[in-house]
Amino acid sequence: MNAISLKNLFSFEKTPLNLLMAFVTVALVAAFFAGAVIYILHGHHAYNVTRQHPWGLLISMYVFFVVSSTGLCIISSIGHVFGIKEFQQIGKRAIAGAIITISSGFAVIGLEIGHPVTMLIYNVLTPGLTSAIWWMGTLYGLYLTFICLEFFFLAIKENHTLSKIFGICGLLVGLAAHSNLGAVFGFLISRPSANGVFYPVYFILSAMITGCYLIFLMYGFKYKMNFPEKVRVMLVKLSKILGMLLAVLIFFEAWKILTALYGDMPERAATIMHAIKHPNFWFGELTLGMLIPFVVILVSNAQAIKATVYASITGMVGIFFMRYGLVHDTLLYPMTTLKRAEYQLAPSFVDYFPSATEFMIGFGGIGLSLIMYYFADKIFNLDESEHAHH
Amino acid sequence: MARYGMALNYKNCINCRACESACKEENGVLLLPDHYRIWVGVKEAEGEYPNISIASQTYHPSQCQHCENAPCQLVCPTNATHYSPEGMVMVDPTRCILCTYCINACPYDARYVDQRTMTVDKCTFCSDTRLANGETTTACQATCPTKVRVFGDLDDPNSEISQLLAKHEYRQVKEHLGTKPKLFYIL
Repeated sequence: MNAISLKNLFSFEKTPLNLLMAFVTVALVAAFFAGAVIYILHGHHAYNVTRQHPWGLLISMYVFFVVSSTGLCIISSIGHVFGIKEFQQIGKRAIAGAIITISSGFAVIGLEIGHPVTMLIYNVLTPGLTSAIWWMGTLYGLYLTFICLEFFFLAIKENHTLSKIFGICGLLVGLAAHSNLGAVFGFLISRPSANGVFYPVYFILSAMITGCYLIFLMYGFKYKMNFPEKVRVMLVKLSKILGMLLAVLIFFEAWKILTALYGDMPERAATIMHAIKHPNFWFGELTLGMLIPFVVILVSNAQAIKATVYASITGMVGIFFMRYGLVHDTLLYPMTTLKRAEYQLAPSFVDYFPSATEFMIGFGGIGLSLIMYYFADKIFNLDESEHAHH
Repeated sequence: MARYGMALNYKNCINCRACESACKEENGVLLLPDHYRIWVGVKEAEGEYPNISIASQTYHPSQCQHCENAPCQLVCPTNATHYSPEGMVMVDPTRCILCTYCINACPYDARYVDQRTMTVDKCTFCSDTRLANGETTTACQATCPTKVRVFGDLDDPNSEISQLLAKHEYRQVKEHLGTKPKLFYIL
């Protein structure tokens, strides 16, 4: 831990990039709190969710944050748990990022769940053991505890054995929690486009990709693209891992889509066809999230670290669209199958666009992550200690 | 113990929607968008003028199917959604956390967020408003002018609903999902 004064905490080099980031961070945090006030005053009326589309942007953003957290935890474990030397330097920074992103996720979901206090009580008193949400929530609570302890023994009271033990626990519980989050969608028998084994597996894969993107962004920002040799070597290796993961993801997605379309099964084929025709998928998810980073890595043979940092920005935008699509596409197909009144049209694909308050809270969560990361970077030494790992 | 279900002579339905009104009145369902426990679905006539099949236009009264294997009950993280001793799918407002997972999980669009209790609401077969007072019918059944709905005990072989189901063919909605719905549409 660094000894730091309040003045130090708020002083930073006034470069244009730093000033821009500071402005963006403050604006997003302000948006989050303004959104929270509107929600407290108006409840779910402030959101555009409906009976036919009960989950919206906030659930997407919750998934976005916990995917980021799990991804950072998995990627950090390459060095920290599995002992691969070049990756040991990212341990503390990645675990700090994991704690920060899941905290932002909890802040966002806290404003979506109607009765969060009731949840804390009855999660314990009358647990629904057949519910993927129960397992996901409970395991994520446990995961946060483990990674906090891991960080404590990594950065505050250095103890390599204990940090490794809690690291392994955090990793295993995180994987379980995250695949359960996939199962929240995969278990929906009412939604043929989501139902099945795909999401629990894909969640882990896309988490690892998200973790890689975030490591690139954190290091790109920290070193302002002038990477020391040790960091460069690690990022080249990470880039190769990312390239492989993206190839697997593109392969998985292609087969998921082909399987969904094949045979024109009722509900499933039409839903997926509708989803992939939308720019959110082919431009957001596919081009920004997968193809641009993949092509950069492939063409440069994983050597173009700066370009990969920039591609990680498009990658994270793509990951957002992936999460948004996950929720929206699952709910696209109307459960009301007949029209209900003479003056009503027959049901079609369900429309949804987030309200201003949903945008404020959902994207404001990114501001929470940024400000927590700024403070964590100031307060703790997030780089590898000189005397560690000898 | 009784096991309640409902049979619907849906071909008798004239789409007057008295059942919707009676349900709202009896159970205090708010007059707001998305607030309905039961509804009448309209299947439009098929064909092109002048060859329109009049017989193809039908009305489908619907509501919570009170599934024996209810997806909404399976996914509830706090067991707020539970089975009553009579096999009805009920919601305990004190335990509902309003995660709305059950709304996503229900294949029948039977659930909505009630703005008074701020919990997820659904058809209860009038168990607290009528059955608890000794009535043997639901509000939607009692008000129906063409006797579409027959509510009763599926385990009692002499009940009207059991007799009806023994004598007629019927279909259930989305039964391929394994939900074992307890609404029976008489063919």
